[in-house]
Amino acid sequence: MSRPVLTAAAGIAVVVALLPLGYLLIRVTEAGLDRAAAELLTARVGRLAATSLALAAVVTLACTVLGVGSAFLVTRTDLPAARLFAVLAALPLAVPTYIAAFAWVSAVDDFTGFWPSALVLTLCSYPYVFLPVAAALHRADPAQEDVARSLGHHPWRTFRGVTLPQLRPAIAGGALLVALYVLSDFGAVALLRTDTFTRAVFTAFDLGFDLTGALLLSTVLVALTTVLLIGESLTRRRGARYARLGAGARRPHVRIPLGGRRWPAALMLMVAAALALGVPALNLSRRLAAGVSRPGSLTEIATAAGNSLTVSAAGAVLTMLLALPIGLLVARASGPLAAVVERLSYLTHALPGVVIGLSLVFFGVHVAYPLYQTRWLLTLAYAALFLPLAVAAVSAAAAQAPPALDDVARSLGRRPLRVFITITAPLLTPGIAAGAALVFLTCMKELPATLLLRPTGMDTLATELWGHTGVAAYAAAAPYAALLVLLSAVPAWFLAARSGALGPEGNR
Amino acid sequence: MTALTVTAACKTYGAVPVLTDVGLSVAAGSLTAVLGPSGCGKTTLLRCVAGLERLDAGQIRVADSVVEGPGTHVPAHRRRVALVPQEGALFPHLSVADNVGYGLDRAQRRSGRIEEVLVLVGLEGYQRRMPHQLSGGQQQRVALARALAPRPRLVLLDEPFSALDAGLRASLRQDVRQALRRDGATAVLVTHDQAEALSLADHVVVMRAGRVVQDGPPTEVYATPTDHWVARFVGDAVLLTGVVRAGHAHTAIGAAPVHADADGEVTVLLRPEQVRITPIGTPTAGQVTGRVLRHDFHGHDTLTVVRLADGTEVQSRRLNDGPVPATGDAVQVSVRGPVRTWPAGPQPRDAGDPAPSRRAGAGHA
Amino acid sequence: MGPSRTRLALVTALSAAVLSGMAACGDGPASEPGDKKVMLYSGRNEALIKPLLDKFTQQTGIEIEARYGTTAQMAAQLAEEGDRSPAEAFLSQDAGALGAVNKKGLLAPLPPEVGAKVPATYRAQDGNWVGVTARSRVLVHNPTLVKAEELPSSVFDLTDARWKGKVAIAPTNGSFQAFVTGVRLQHGEAKAKEFFTALKANDVQILENNIAIVEAVDAGKVPVGLVNHYYLGEIAKERGTTPDKLNAKLHFFAPGDTGAMVNVSGIGVLRRSGTDPDVRALVDFLLSAEAQTDFAQRTFEYPLVAGAPAPAYVPPLADLKVPAIDLNDLDTLEASIALIKAAGLTP
Repeated sequence: MSRPVLTAAAGIAVVVALLPLGYLLIRVTEAGLDRAAAELLTARVGRLAATSLALAAVVTLACTVLGVGSAFLVTRTDLPAARLFAVLAALPLAVPTYIAAFAWVSAVDDFTGFWPSALVLTLCSYPYVFLPVAAALHRADPAQEDVARSLGHHPWRTFRGVTLPQLRPAIAGGALLVALYVLSDFGAVALLRTDTFTRAVFTAFDLGFDLTGALLLSTVLVALTTVLLIGESLTRRRGARYARLGAGARRPHVRIPLGGRRWPAALMLMVAAALALGVPALNLSRRLAAGVSRPGSLTEIATAAGNSLTVSAAGAVLTMLLALPIGLLVARASGPLAAVVERLSYLTHALPGVVIGLSLVFFGVHVAYPLYQTRWLLTLAYAALFLPLAVAAVSAAAAQAPPALDDVARSLGRRPLRVFITITAPLLTPGIAAGAALVFLTCMKELPATLLLRPTGMDTLATELWGHTGVAAYAAAAPYAALLVLLSAVPAWFLAARSGALGPEGNR
Repeated sequence: MTALTVTAACKTYGAVPVLTDVGLSVAAGSLTAVLGPSGCGKTTLLRCVAGLERLDAGQIRVADSVVEGPGTHVPAHRRRVALVPQEGALFPHLSVADNVGYGLDRAQRRSGRIEEVLVLVGLEGYQRRMPHQLSGGQQQRVALARALAPRPRLVLLDEPFSALDAGLRASLRQDVRQALRRDGATAVLVTHDQAEALSLADHVVVMRAGRVVQDGPPTEVYATPTDHWVARFVGDAVLLTGVVRAGHAHTAIGAAPVHADADGEVTVLLRPEQVRITPIGTPTAGQVTGRVLRHDFHGHDTLTVVRLADGTEVQSRRLNDGPVPATGDAVQVSVRGPVRTWPAGPQPRDAGDPAPSRRAGAGHA
Repeated sequence: MGPSRTRLALVTALSAAVLSGMAACGDGPASEPGDKKVMLYSGRNEALIKPLLDKFTQQTGIEIEARYGTTAQMAAQLAEEGDRSPAEAFLSQDAGALGAVNKKGLLAPLPPEVGAKVPATYRAQDGNWVGVTARSRVLVHNPTLVKAEELPSSVFDLTDARWKGKVAIAPTNGSFQAFVTGVRLQHGEAKAKEFFTALKANDVQILENNIAIVEAVDAGKVPVGLVNHYYLGEIAKERGTTPDKLNAKLHFFAPGDTGAMVNVSGIGVLRRSGTDPDVRALVDFLLSAEAQTDFAQRTFEYPLVAGAPAPAYVPPLADLKVPAIDLNDLDTLEASIALIKAAGLTP
């Protein structure tokens, strides 16, 4: 695609991502400066910000350690059952935090507060780090590691000195998604009672139908996001993004023998998987066995599953369509414009779903009324919510299609569009598929925006789950929860496979 | 006939000029090398010819049509100028045959052209391989075949051998030249490797800091470089001060005929193969003598560094066809002309690193 | 270029299929008066309401398009939608949300004969909304942890040192917030602030919602908790038993005590549907003896219309000496929220 077309398309995508910001701006302006000051310049806001940031920091750090550690163990060591652990490390993506938190609360007495929240959020979100890092480890040039080891470096020292720096973009990207996710999460902090900004935003709605107050609080989340984005930008380094293609076939990585630490390492990963997947699974089965309420007919379950699948698939398709130009622009143009465009797409990612939902209500009612309460607007909301996930995937994939390939194709007489269709798009397809899978399963779990924007009468697995747990009908809710997790597990498995952690080394 | 003409080409990146008043012409059917150190603007020039970047001023004509000039910019895909980038840049998702056939329409693909060019580059039978199953040299051959396949008006090669090891490079160079010749293609090769440029090209264009500093056949560029810098860049050089009298340049190691020039003080360029050394027993008066400082053994020949009595160091290259004086031995030194001279004194453009780069893959412009 | 192109085509086809499938599912415009359709925004749970609405459709042939959500978020949604809301009626979990929506001028007056079916305490003064069911605040307790004779007669006793760390509340719930408003209205700001601050200082247990409180008490994790009375019934139902078989028991505070206040769920009609006969039919149905009896039996709530029997396992509504709190004032929320925040009970 030519640069102007690409820039224009990226512009449209950014507009979608910034719709919620426009809405916030309108409402906050209406509220006026005095109201804003009264709401925001309080010790409480300071306390909430501190808690939110602390939680984001702790969870991000824990996810980085757990994600990088398991990625390394799975891809670079002689860990037993490495492929199994690769899948297990991706699967927590399929577990919504509200299900995980609920399971923990029911399983452990007094399981509330900051550290329990941090634990549950870590267990649910470390795949955001694991997946990109495993993929980067898989791609990294083994020659450099060979060199380091030939210079007498111990394998571990080689990992720290040579491999880890190459992983920095992957780690930073994953960590950013984790941090933003933690800021926007409501499910875990609500059930585990940690006073974060997002919980305060929800409370402002639920407690007093205080729309203005809730939106004012949300602006602080945008500010916190800006801080995180700047921080992440500072850790980025240019370069080292080209796929290696040149001196012949790639050799496989040498797997480091763990020796006596082989089984303890496996045990550690086993414990992580048990905490992240086993606890929710046990709780679901217990609830199903204990309760007498029953879900609706099979048709109802099938309809909800069908709705979840179609709106999530549509959300994934639209999000990817919008993410493509941004990702390509970032990979092709290294200027400040591309960087700003990419960062902008992240800006509203920490906003709670209910705020995104309301902004789309506003947009639907005032701008796109024919779309209001149709699947289209819900799809648009998913795109606004999850664009960064897709942009990250496309940017990573675009690095696999270096611009030199475009140059060659054009020099052979092919028009830009043809080049895009025959060269760029096929090379991006695996990355696009991975991004789509991630967006898809995130859409499956989404609740607040879905409640606000779904067509009247349309139930998804998530809304059914919410409806049944609302009246303590846990047994009725369990099948929906189980189906939600199982259906999300398919794309999660696909993501694990995509990361290269499952496949034999060096093959396409 | 002229296949490519660049006239007064200028381009800046921000405030930095990368091309200044560049002009060159490439004869149809020839192989022209654009030779220059890293950062001299040669790759930018190539990208402008390909249509991947635009000139700020100047004109580019391919065959007889203007493809770049004031108000004209023919996009890359309409120029019929095919590119062979560094490291080949094969499409990783396409087989060898699909890579080679990429620039061909359906009928052409069926016409046997793919097989034809694969034979040209010595890869018949590789049609169904995938790029990652090929060695680096094979990937470059496919990249060349892919560029040749649609019979472009011009093939541009951007340091295509720099990522390869030395032995492979030498054989691939000759194969590439042969393939280009047999196909009747016109090619421009961008390189920082003087040996590559001199050995392959029919014509060499030397660039420095965005300007063309010399333009001619390889022998001419080697024997009569325009200045010290070019002299050193295109080969080993011994620069001595001397005096021209009556058609001969007189230097510390003897006299040699010069091409022309007025009498007076000069700087003399000697190529090591023009410097002869003969082992002697004990030095006698009247002979120019020195002692062997060290040898650089190259297999087919040896570069010997000799220190003269007055401390001047000169290099001599000789074939390894006889006894070699040992380090420390006394030798007699003489010169075989003719030689290139410049009037003495500093040269206007003597800046920069004059040493020709011999490092493989040391970077590109 | 076989496989990759095929894959691309497959992806494109799949995307097209999904998108066109969605187009086919596009929903029509909002309904017109007398078209035998009602668009209902329900802040009450689908599992509770849907069977009743189905019965209504069966009897009248009027179709209900019901949208379910949390009461608070629906109030926010209605506020954002304003005059363009597709909603025709709003069924709310509590009086406060109805008051908030009414304050935005979104509700139409109900005919006087509709309001007349319900005691004046349980409907809007301006007649713009009407209560459908009532729920009482209660103290749920676990008899193995607290003896019956030790139970307090007033909610204000819970600040005693002997209740330290033993009381659970859910301050982010609408029911609690209405209770706070009740305390303010009945006893004034100063007393209310003193009480809730003392409650916080007494190490009150803060849980996410009423269900969590009842489960915690039933499991013996917390001795007592402040909830609405019907949650015990919901949990008993899920366990396939009746409320009297649970460990957790209900305790009603003394007559007239704020702890025994009664709140309502109710319905209001959006302005543009003020005269729509279909909407009116729905309101009438919800206030019919049949629907009211159904509420009492299935949701354990108090019916508000004369003639419907009270739910089992609780004293009749008439026996509760409800404190003198005007439900119309429950929308004066800002002060209550400020108070809850100031007392440190919520983030």
